[in-house]
Amino acid sequence: MTCYRNHQTLFGLCLLLFLFTSPLLATENQTDQECFESRDGMSQVRVREISPGLVNVKCSSTTGGVLWWGDPFAGTIPMGDMDIEADYSNEEAVVKPREPELDKNKMLTICSMACHDGNYVPIPHSKTPRPLKMHLDTVPDAMNLKHGKGNIWCLDCHHLVERTKLIDNFGYSISFNQPQKLCGKCHGQVYRAWRDGLHGKRIGMWDKGGKKRWWVCTECHNPHDVEQKERNSGFAQLRPEPAPNLPKGMVNADHERMHHGAHPDETGHE
Amino acid sequence: MPKQDSSKTKDNKLTSRRDFLRSAGNYTVASLSGAAMLLSDPKPAKANVTWEEHFQKNYRLMTDEEKQEAIERLETRYSEEYGKQVTVDGTPSIEGVLFGYALNIQKCIGCRRCVKACVAENNQSRGDEQQIEWIRVLRMEKGKFSEADRDQHGYPESFGVQVGGNAYKPAGVVLEGQHYYEPEQVPEKDAFYFPMQCMQCEKPPCVKVCPVRTTYRDPDGIVVIDYNWCIGCRMCIGACPYWARRFNWGEPNLPKEEMNPVTHYLGNRPRMKGVVEKCSFCVQRTRKGRWTACVEVCPVGARKFGNLLDPNSEIRKVLAKKKVFRLRADLNTYPKFFYYMD
Repeated sequence: MTCYRNHQTLFGLCLLLFLFTSPLLATENQTDQECFESRDGMSQVRVREISPGLVNVKCSSTTGGVLWWGDPFAGTIPMGDMDIEADYSNEEAVVKPREPELDKNKMLTICSMACHDGNYVPIPHSKTPRPLKMHLDTVPDAMNLKHGKGNIWCLDCHHLVERTKLIDNFGYSISFNQPQKLCGKCHGQVYRAWRDGLHGKRIGMWDKGGKKRWWVCTECHNPHDVEQKERNSGFAQLRPEPAPNLPKGMVNADHERMHHGAHPDETGHE
Repeated sequence: MPKQDSSKTKDNKLTSRRDFLRSAGNYTVASLSGAAMLLSDPKPAKANVTWEEHFQKNYRLMTDEEKQEAIERLETRYSEEYGKQVTVDGTPSIEGVLFGYALNIQKCIGCRRCVKACVAENNQSRGDEQQIEWIRVLRMEKGKFSEADRDQHGYPESFGVQVGGNAYKPAGVVLEGQHYYEPEQVPEKDAFYFPMQCMQCEKPPCVKVCPVRTTYRDPDGIVVIDYNWCIGCRMCIGACPYWARRFNWGEPNLPKEEMNPVTHYLGNRPRMKGVVEKCSFCVQRTRKGRWTACVEVCPVGARKFGNLLDPNSEIRKVLAKKKVFRLRADLNTYPKFFYYMD
């Protein structure tokens, strides 16, 4: 800042500016702040100190996304019995459980015990997809399911009587912590790529035998709206981090947005 | 000389001479004490380190003991400057490792989180005056090819021999890459994104042109820089076909509270004014087995990194199974940075 170099008359102004900005700076990366890992609103993580001067994550002050992992394994559990066919006997693979994130307000648990236990709400006999005008509060996109192009509906993935579980093709329940067991049923190719580390994301150690945190499907994709409207990318849109500074003397970047169209005189040569 | 001076008394002149001698003496004492200060007190770390640093060898030519001394000097200085315990690592290449990087341009959403994570991890200068980012993301337009744009006539009648396509009527993509795109949300419908950083070439033009050999390629494939030996001639910047190197035109602005204290001598230790810097594959992390900061932060998992010499590594699987290309392969720089598509 020029404040450092210029006359003392500016000192007061600088001091004022500092007093105003310092609380803002102080709040950056403050513990207890919450930011998102991949999906805004669905993969939240709270900043906390894991050792003196080291936080588990650093958040972007502009977009609220995680920018840096102090401890990539904070809050993870062993991958356990996940259906991974590759040889990971020498590697320590961990995942972050999804259930605490999805069931923050215990809604799933309550639903399962209160109504969807097989007694109160009748189990539908037909599996034909039909519009479901309820539960828009818990599933805002329930009326706009964009998964399977309208051919599948809630009970193709969610357990009939256990709302805290997913269901596989044979009627067995699947934990929300292991969504790839469900997703892999239809998306086998992607599942295999994920298993090989070609699809999706991992953090931790790159080397053989190193500890790795695997990201599971629903940490990045919204299972109710995978197609993401017209963009069809499979990943929700988010706000980008700010652009780099313009070179000195350049007032805008209009030159970049100019289409280099046809020559004004298309018919002849100069 | 002004009149009033010539009218001064003898006493005054004597006083002046005495004053002169006194002040000369003071200057001598002051300069001696200044030199003494530089060599010992009262700011021992800064002064000693600066003195020693000026006379140290090129990092590659140092013995192990000299490297250790240089590292300890820096650790002391940085810890004092930034008010926290700073470590400077000197870990050499790992045996049997050749680092490779792959980026899925089909997946990249252009969110620039890699750029900012890199800045946070690698202690780049930030702020309006002196901003340095090692990664840049280009926004590219999706091609719009139509039958109408196709022109069979080539050059207009009576000009040249070109056939197919008209040199004066472009078809397809007519917008060049954008660096400063700022949409509300990414990814945009009509765009794809192309991140670029140091390609860690096997035959790096930057190394070839460096007159003081301060930049060189380590056996694990990382092209590194000994900042102390950089003379700021910027030959490497001119030679790099990927626009990967940055120059510190001013004193870098690295706030104390944001400084990452885990550093490597050849990587993210704080730089000084007048030196060139660039991506080092997060040498402070990768030589310890960690993934780079940009790999870890990418929200869509578009970035892959690993050991090219390990047939079971992710990077090798990418090279084996995906559609892969290298940027400007025609230049024979053999980058260790690959782009791929599903």
